[in-house]
Amino acid sequence: MELTRRQLLKLTGLGLGGVLYTACTYDLSETRVESPTHIPEDLVAGLDTWYATLCRECGASEGIIVRVMEGRAKKIQGNPLYPTNTGKHRPGCEGALQALYHPDRLAGPLRRMVKGVGQSFEPTTWSLALEELSSQLAKHQSDPRSVVIITDPLRGSAADLMQRFATSYGARHVVFEPAEQTVLYETTKRLYGSEQLPHFDIANASSVLSFGADFLSTWLNPVGYMRQYGQFRQGTGRKRGRLVHVEPRFSMTAANADEWVPVNPGMEGVLALSMAYVIVSERKGDQSAADALTGGAGADALRAFRPGDVASVTGVPAEKIERIAKEFADHQPGVVIGGGSAGAHTNGLFNLSAIYSLNLLMGNTNKRGGVWLNPQAPLPELRAQATATPLGQWQPLIDDMKAGRVQMLIVRGADPLYGIPKALGFEAALSKVPMVVSFSSFMNDTAVYADLIVPEHTGLEDWGNDVPQPGPGFQTVGYQQPVVREYHERERLQADRGSRGFADVMLALAEGLPKVQQALPWKTSREMLMDSARKLQGLGKGSVVAASFDRFWIDLLANGGWWDTSATSTATPPKPSALPTQRRDPQFQGAGAEFHLMPFASNAMGDGRGAHIPWLQAAPDPVTTAVWGTWIEINLGVAKEMGIKEGETLRIISPAGEIEAHAFPHPAIPRNVVAIPMGQGHRQYGRYAQERGANVLSILAPAADADTGALAWAATKVRVEKTGRRIHLPKFEGTVELPTQLEEGAIIKTTKPV
Amino acid sequence: MVTTRVRHKWGMVVDLDRCTGCQACVVACQAENNIPINLEQHFLQRRAIEWIRIERYWEGLEEAEKTGDLSKVKARFIPILCQHCENAPCEPVCPVYATYHNNEGLNVQIYNRCIGTRYCVNNCPYQVRFFNFWQPTWPESLHNQLNPHVTVRTRGIMEKCTFCVQRLRKGGRKEVQEGKRLDDKEFDAQSGMFAPACARACPTDTLVFGDMNDPNSRVSTMAKDNRNYKLLASIGTEPNVIYLKKVDLDASDAATH
Repeated sequence: MELTRRQLLKLTGLGLGGVLYTACTYDLSETRVESPTHIPEDLVAGLDTWYATLCRECGASEGIIVRVMEGRAKKIQGNPLYPTNTGKHRPGCEGALQALYHPDRLAGPLRRMVKGVGQSFEPTTWSLALEELSSQLAKHQSDPRSVVIITDPLRGSAADLMQRFATSYGARHVVFEPAEQTVLYETTKRLYGSEQLPHFDIANASSVLSFGADFLSTWLNPVGYMRQYGQFRQGTGRKRGRLVHVEPRFSMTAANADEWVPVNPGMEGVLALSMAYVIVSERKGDQSAADALTGGAGADALRAFRPGDVASVTGVPAEKIERIAKEFADHQPGVVIGGGSAGAHTNGLFNLSAIYSLNLLMGNTNKRGGVWLNPQAPLPELRAQATATPLGQWQPLIDDMKAGRVQMLIVRGADPLYGIPKALGFEAALSKVPMVVSFSSFMNDTAVYADLIVPEHTGLEDWGNDVPQPGPGFQTVGYQQPVVREYHERERLQADRGSRGFADVMLALAEGLPKVQQALPWKTSREMLMDSARKLQGLGKGSVVAASFDRFWIDLLANGGWWDTSATSTATPPKPSALPTQRRDPQFQGAGAEFHLMPFASNAMGDGRGAHIPWLQAAPDPVTTAVWGTWIEINLGVAKEMGIKEGETLRIISPAGEIEAHAFPHPAIPRNVVAIPMGQGHRQYGRYAQERGANVLSILAPAADADTGALAWAATKVRVEKTGRRIHLPKFEGTVELPTQLEEGAIIKTTKPV
Repeated sequence: MVTTRVRHKWGMVVDLDRCTGCQACVVACQAENNIPINLEQHFLQRRAIEWIRIERYWEGLEEAEKTGDLSKVKARFIPILCQHCENAPCEPVCPVYATYHNNEGLNVQIYNRCIGTRYCVNNCPYQVRFFNFWQPTWPESLHNQLNPHVTVRTRGIMEKCTFCVQRLRKGGRKEVQEGKRLDDKEFDAQSGMFAPACARACPTDTLVFGDMNDPNSRVSTMAKDNRNYKLLASIGTEPNVIYLKKVDLDASDAATH
């Protein structure tokens, strides 16, 4: 082709123009700093927003507010409006942030490649995982009892959903909690006729007498109790209260008590009845209650518990029993609290019933400074009671698993392989189940055995609600909302991976099961929550009232929940029944061993749920200041006699197994008791928890409370052997001995009460 | 210079009779102030960083040993943080003026002036200054949690409690905008957002923060309580953190720790 000069110039010009034109355009994606679909509508760059939600790191479910900046959660504080914790929080609540951004969070569903071989997992997608779950559930519909769902204690709408799912499908639902509260719930039911745990009015009490319940550290609702404790000690317009704490171990509550009474393990009930004897014989209690409790026979009915007669079995001198009982009766209003290790014996129900009877004896029910019964939840579908399945009912389940009668096991919010005493044989049984499904966001001890892991959202990404247990004395429903977009959103959008809410997954699964779908008429968990919120709105009372539902819903979430301070319990407690006239002594497993083993929940990590959080691993235990490991508290004098120094590795042998822990010679633990914190010894659970320390729960003998079948976790006796090894115990406290008297006087100065 | 700034003197009152030793303040501080994760080896090397810490002291050990009565043993807790001393021994020794006393009563550390001589930590009688012996690191995903309003300190830098100055600065802006002096309401857990993270978290209200220059503030009133004392008062550092004595039925002046 012939090309003229003019044509050439034209072509060159066009070509150059074209090149310049394309060079000057830009890829549209470059203009997007952040995809518009990702930006929450109320986001203003550089400004923070605080959202109210609930903390899901422990059973207390405190109301929290979360500081969010540019789509990332930065800080957690207590929700000032939420009635159970009124603006304050525990160390554990902060852990929710590190759980959300944990480096070892699972980024999507995992499927086992080879059954029974270690961690042979391959990534899979949500649609494949859900398909597999649906087909399995559909397959087992003919034998629904072969499907077992294990969850943590659920409350609120989640409990309702789970119950509807399990009932309509016919599956077995079991609830797991390492240190179960079954005995406490049963005591409340028998003594107060109430399904709800009571509220203790510590703030207005003159004296508090507590047995075994470490309520200033981990027991039930520690933030709420500590809020009240501050008032109890130095509140304005009141005299300083007196706290006496009875427990075989020197716990945080014991450390803060005015008087700590070390008692022989399992003898708390006998001690309480002995105090009842003193109060009745001195005619200091409520006369009608005293008559009812003694069957009209007066102190004579309790003569088996005369202080002089029980001093040796309880290990508390008779004059001390008398003095404490009289002081308590003279300083009313007073409240008696019992739980923890006191209820974790083979005579647990006997102990707690005896302890709480002291409240009845003082006639302090529903009185200022006494025990307030909690009302029912405002709506029947909001379930409040969250009792664990007692140990006694686990054995038949484990037998079924072993015999191949369980085809599918779904585990959510619990790590039973970690928490169930090894002696029950759960591990062997687990490998016999053809299909194990775990909802854990982390690879935990149970998840390693799973055939399918479908990671659920962490608490800050999910919807939910809660009826606190114990409540604050009036009707309360907390609402949980996602405060940030899910961390693995990109994986979900691009690769169908990431995490999903547990309730949402269960609702999605219901779609393939007509019977279940009928019972669960919601598409999403948010819809389910809105349904309950609509009913709350319909009540037309309480902290959130609005004419339109949209307004109500917004206010409900902004406040973190709904409560009605005037909706207190209207039930009249039943007439007290007669107290036992004879002692019921505890039975121990491991007879002949010299030490009682007292496991206790770690102040920061609880029963082990918080072990994957580095902040909580590094938060020193208040009394020993130990961090990042497992220690064993052993009496200082005993340690000296045995030649045990701090940090020495000891072997602790129970009838059910053995573990190793490092010695902490303790000046205030009885000679016949050793104590080991729960929380460590995970085989998995992320880089901060894996293979760290030892799991005390694994060596518990499977003893149970005779009446309720609940695990008697304080009923194991152990031997202690030296291994000859020694480490530097990681702890916050220095090892240099202080001079006995500082020139400038004590660091902590004390004064007598005015 | 004409200024509309309100003259505050920030201070704290610590009521030891309320403290249970629960560690809520410690963890809250670490979350707010981008404090490096204290791993096991940091504790073993005694180089863990805790701007606020709980110290535990034993009492009655000798008596318990003598009588065999364990109930005589007592454990007492005390939260210790930078005392923001008026006569701070750490300040005059800094060769580069990285630490000084500001006009709001705060003992301030300027990180980009600090050259890491560690003279200040040697001179601090309360052991509340911490040196970054390593470059602090977090796994990538945990960076999402870091507070954008607080500098991440590098290796070779001294750091310490700031009374959460980032919150006070924010409060200061509100003060200017609204023309109203920051008062107790702004530091209260029920109504305010500017209290330091530790005081905001404290479940028992052991830690109370406020303006010592405001005669009606809670801290001013509480500081006059007859249980008040200053830590290591004899050395004359004049702390802005006031402690209230622990009340004990068996209190005696002969406490030994």
